[in-house]
Amino acid sequence: MHIDLPALIVSAILLAGLYATMSYGLALIYGVMKIVNLAHAGVMMWGAYLAFIFIVNLGMNPFLAPVLIVPTFFFLGILLQRYIVSRIMSAPPISSLLLLFGVWLIMQNISYLIFSGDTRAITTPYTLSTFLVGGISISVNRLVVFGVGILALVSLRQFLGHTYLGKAIRATAQDGEASKLVGINTQWVMEMAFGIGIALASLAGSLMALIFAFDPDFGRSHLLKGFCIVVLGGLESMVGVALGSLVLAIAEALSVLWIMPAMQDFVSFAILVIVLVVMPGGMLGLLQKFLKT
Amino acid sequence: MSRAWKMGMSLLGLAFLVWIPFSGIGGGYLQTLGFLTFLYVTLSTAWNIMGGYTGQISFGHATFYGLGAYTTSILTLRGLNPFLTIPLAGIVASLYGLLWGYPCLRLRGQYFAIATIGVGEATRLLMLNMDDLIKNNDWLKGFLHDGVLTGGATGLMLPTPPDIRSYALGFYYGAMGIMFAALLVSWKVKTSKFGLGLLAINMDIDAAETLGVRTAYYKNLALMLSALMVGICGSIYSQYVFYIDPQTVFGFPMSIAMVLMPTIGGIGTLLGPVLGAVVYVVVQDQILTANLEFGDFKLSLSSLHLLIYGGLLVVIVLFEPKGILGLQKRLARKWAKRKEDSRERDDNAARVR
Repeated sequence: MHIDLPALIVSAILLAGLYATMSYGLALIYGVMKIVNLAHAGVMMWGAYLAFIFIVNLGMNPFLAPVLIVPTFFFLGILLQRYIVSRIMSAPPISSLLLLFGVWLIMQNISYLIFSGDTRAITTPYTLSTFLVGGISISVNRLVVFGVGILALVSLRQFLGHTYLGKAIRATAQDGEASKLVGINTQWVMEMAFGIGIALASLAGSLMALIFAFDPDFGRSHLLKGFCIVVLGGLESMVGVALGSLVLAIAEALSVLWIMPAMQDFVSFAILVIVLVVMPGGMLGLLQKFLKT
Repeated sequence: MSRAWKMGMSLLGLAFLVWIPFSGIGGGYLQTLGFLTFLYVTLSTAWNIMGGYTGQISFGHATFYGLGAYTTSILTLRGLNPFLTIPLAGIVASLYGLLWGYPCLRLRGQYFAIATIGVGEATRLLMLNMDDLIKNNDWLKGFLHDGVLTGGATGLMLPTPPDIRSYALGFYYGAMGIMFAALLVSWKVKTSKFGLGLLAINMDIDAAETLGVRTAYYKNLALMLSALMVGICGSIYSQYVFYIDPQTVFGFPMSIAMVLMPTIGGIGTLLGPVLGAVVYVVVQDQILTANLEFGDFKLSLSSLHLLIYGGLLVVIVLFEPKGILGLQKRLARKWAKRKEDSRERDDNAARVR
């Protein structure tokens, strides 16, 4: 069986960029509030549908649509946190899971109501355009998503490391009570973090709409992979998310060598379960355990 | 409500249920609805043992449903008597529960829930592609019958019996019997030492472990019991509709239904799942065939029931985590307190005079 390994690796790297983009939002919210945001899938889906409306119905430039979509969802995220999620912050984590699951259900079925279950896709002049680099053809859309993933990583690192809000977010993630003691308005921080997380999800959704066909059920498998990546990457860093994305993407790409392509998702979900059971501390946690022994 | 009153009402309700197939309301429509209700009540009660009593919310219970359905279908297509396959289906589902439950039940709360979503989707994909996976393997090829094990996306079709009316009637009463059996099991679990252990695990697993409750053993047992009941339901379902496919029986919507029903009705109680299931089936049935049109703009109402349930779920988590039953109990207490207060006031007034 002839396998074009360089092309496989390149496509895996591009996929990793996509996976990273869709996982940052999940990682941020989970890191700060220890909440698994199941509505992340719904936001990605709504981002995709909104992009569809902007690009197909209103004729907007496909790469301009996110610019409008992201701030909208930022505010929606803040509202969601302030009026709904904050009420169950003190309850056991399963309550927030059920709550956000309910929110996801609502989002999904509003989409079913308005758009019906038909699969949509966005076709733009960029959809099929590729360019050759050393004999390997790279899709423009995927390259843009990869670029956005890198850009997001860099900006997130800068933001989390060198701005007040970023550092406040990390502090609240580490120890909420201590953060309050040093004067951080943790309520505001959590609202901001949630808003940013939702905004990142909508960014991912609006870009992925250019690559994948979608229906109201869009986002579920991505959510699972995203959570797998978050657990793999550990909770502390966005770089962990990037590395986790790389690991998952390469695992998926290489798995084609042994199993059917249709079972690729199965591999990802199996990895999710294994990762949850075996390494709750992420890859770095596992590494630390090895180094200690 | 006095005991005699409750007894009377229950007997009346039971008589009504028994009478439904003979009433011929809507040409057997009510009977089919009744069958579905019994099935869903059983599913709801079964999930509640895991999610309600033990507190381990599972979004992957459709795996048991699907395994039960497929076990029955596969064996029936190879000539086995369908009724014999029912307990077998339950056992297969139960063993699968042990298989993925053993590693996953170490996880707590939300992580277990996420893992169950993963397991649910992975199982669905596995069953979808099973035929393609084994048809090239010489060793496993023997499992194929007519070139098909699970039938992939096209699913499996069972032969229909000649006398469909008495068949459906039999299934109506059979499902009713299974529903009552499930409720009995649930009640027995709740009032047993096992159930107390589950409740303890729900409240504080570490404390329970310290007090000597064998948490791992109990959790796995609860999952196996829950899986057994759900598997039996899946088996019965496949024998009633004669056609199954991975998307329906292994699908996420099935798992969602099993979470929504007990949570909305009253999680952790005996009758909460019953209430939730009845509401779910009736509402879904009423909405599923409706359609709304605003001129050009057509609203597809086929998923409206899920929108309602999403909203209900949010409202319940925020304001009344104990579901409809919890709300009813709260209101009943307030009503009783008001009666008590007004009686006191009357007594005081009488004393003053």
